[in-house]
Amino acid sequence: MAMVKVPEQKVILCGEYGVGKSSIFRRFTNNTFVTATDRKSTLGLDNFDKIYRIGDRNIKLQLWDTGGMERVASITSSYYKFSEAAILVFSLDNPSSFHTLSQHLLDIVTYAETAKIFLCGNKTDLVTEPPQISDAEIESFCEQCHSLITNTYRISCKTNEGIEEMFTDIAYQLVNSNRARLELQSMEKHGFKITQSTEELSDDSCLC
Amino acid sequence: MDEEYDAIVLGTGLKECIISGMLSVSGKKVLHVDRNKYYGGESASICPLEELFTKFGANAPDESYGRGRDWNVDLIPKFLMANGSLVKLLIHTGVTRYLEFKSVEGSYVFKGGKIAKVPVDQKEALASDLMGMFEKRRFRNFLTYVQDFMQDDPKTWKDFDPTTQNMTALYEKFGLDKNTQDFTGHALALYRDDDYLNRPALDTITRIKLYSDSLAKYGKSPYLYPMYGLGELPQGFARLSAIYGGTYMLDKPIDEIVLGEGGRAVGVRSGNEIAKCKQIYCDPTYVPDRVRKKGKVIRCICLLDHPISNTKDALSTQIIIPQKQVGRNSDIYVSLVSHTHQVAAKGWFIGMVSTTVETDNPENEIKPGLDLLGPVRQKFVSVSDYYEPIDDGLQSQIFISQSYDATSHFESTCLDVLDIFKRGTGEEFDFSKIKRDLDLEEQ
Repeated sequence: MAMVKVPEQKVILCGEYGVGKSSIFRRFTNNTFVTATDRKSTLGLDNFDKIYRIGDRNIKLQLWDTGGMERVASITSSYYKFSEAAILVFSLDNPSSFHTLSQHLLDIVTYAETAKIFLCGNKTDLVTEPPQISDAEIESFCEQCHSLITNTYRISCKTNEGIEEMFTDIAYQLVNSNRARLELQSMEKHGFKITQSTEELSDDSCLC
Repeated sequence: MDEEYDAIVLGTGLKECIISGMLSVSGKKVLHVDRNKYYGGESASICPLEELFTKFGANAPDESYGRGRDWNVDLIPKFLMANGSLVKLLIHTGVTRYLEFKSVEGSYVFKGGKIAKVPVDQKEALASDLMGMFEKRRFRNFLTYVQDFMQDDPKTWKDFDPTTQNMTALYEKFGLDKNTQDFTGHALALYRDDDYLNRPALDTITRIKLYSDSLAKYGKSPYLYPMYGLGELPQGFARLSAIYGGTYMLDKPIDEIVLGEGGRAVGVRSGNEIAKCKQIYCDPTYVPDRVRKKGKVIRCICLLDHPISNTKDALSTQIIIPQKQVGRNSDIYVSLVSHTHQVAAKGWFIGMVSTTVETDNPENEIKPGLDLLGPVRQKFVSVSDYYEPIDDGLQSQIFISQSYDATSHFESTCLDVLDIFKRGTGEEFDFSKIKRDLDLEEQ
């Protein structure tokens, strides 16, 4: 257990139901895409770790999906806790998913005050000419948010466009902003996770 | 809502959320409803602070309380035993990945008008000022006996049968005086009253072992407390239920439980909508005609701008006032958490005094606890009835949890949950059904 621990950076997905949060999650976890909502493929799984190498440093992005809680009820406030970054997702072919972003942004700044926020337009493959949501609209949204938005991306989970680039950039932004802070981090300030002890693990035969 | 479910769970308190999670994980189709707009019911942590003041009809807090959003105040105070059943449930279900904990700094017991650290190992027992010199040695022998005791190895029982002989007999075997018995039974075995003395000693031995095993886990005390308050616990289990397919609805009043043949529950009605189901799991507030009053609990939330005296300025602590010390039949519990747990603004502490009500003047009953806290900036008192179901639910298929009791930890909470699950599904909860993401990740 005495290995050098790569710091985990909790990254959460936020946005309306149906904008493709689980698709982004699925691309991140096993680089697949399904057209119909196949809940079974993510059943029981709501976060996934991946290590990115930025310069001379490793950083572990831990991406979290909502688990579909926003379908009818609200997401629990604990979803936001301890997150270092939030990806605010909207669908480029669905203006209403764009216009409700401010509500999700408010939730993020309320429950995850220190998280860096990234804006992500999904479904570039469905953009028409002229686009359903113009560049000017997106820009003016970012301006209204008083530079709360660190960066903006356009991706397509269907064609896999821009996804890896987005996560690499998020990793890069987090490394830069956290460099100083991570070194100051001490157990005194933070809580700890409870995990199973090695002794208990060893007498468990179904672990394979 | 107009769909058919295997089970409908009413209320998002901790017990109902654990049950909902366990049912979803077992493959059941679950609808989980709460009449409130927020998760947690009585087990929620109130945020912001203004809402707590409003809830108790007090004038809004002034600036000295800092930002209201930095507060998360529990309504029901409890700690987790580090090696207890809730921690085991958290680990087995993987809900532990949603939470972070801190160890509670100190565990104290009240004796002769002042507080003393609870001694748990032989070294501490010998240094403790709770006992005289000869008593210390007897207590040390007793602790050694308990530590070496193994239930499946009668050789370690040393000519004492803990399954038939009672705890009084075991105390007598070691010659422990009433005083030592008092803090052993109440501060180590965590009994609320003295009924345990006449029951087989095995349960008490198991409880003392739980205390010392819990202490061995993270040090300072056997207790853990989650960052951002206890309200994080029900939310974690709700999330577990959701990611295994459970459907959540908040802010949904329940007007009626729909009964079918033989008085069996077949659904619930909210306005014109009816959701069908085979079973209902709920807390007592959803079925007032199916529960009876068992007693009352008084809880007093105290906002302090200082730690408790004589606790080495601990940022979190628990103090147990054994019943006999203050001439009562049930113990008084004092707990303290603070800004270090992200439940209060910087420099602030939340003290909580609670006990089972025995008289017509409950506020007077908790006075010995309040006196230990010192000057209190703001005090909120609540006296709540404690309910239990009138039947086991097998006939009606309505399984009702008991209200949260005055105990200072979650052991009885977990026992109730596991018992309800067993009655409802006819089987013990199978922990192996849960994917072991956490462990895989660590390899």
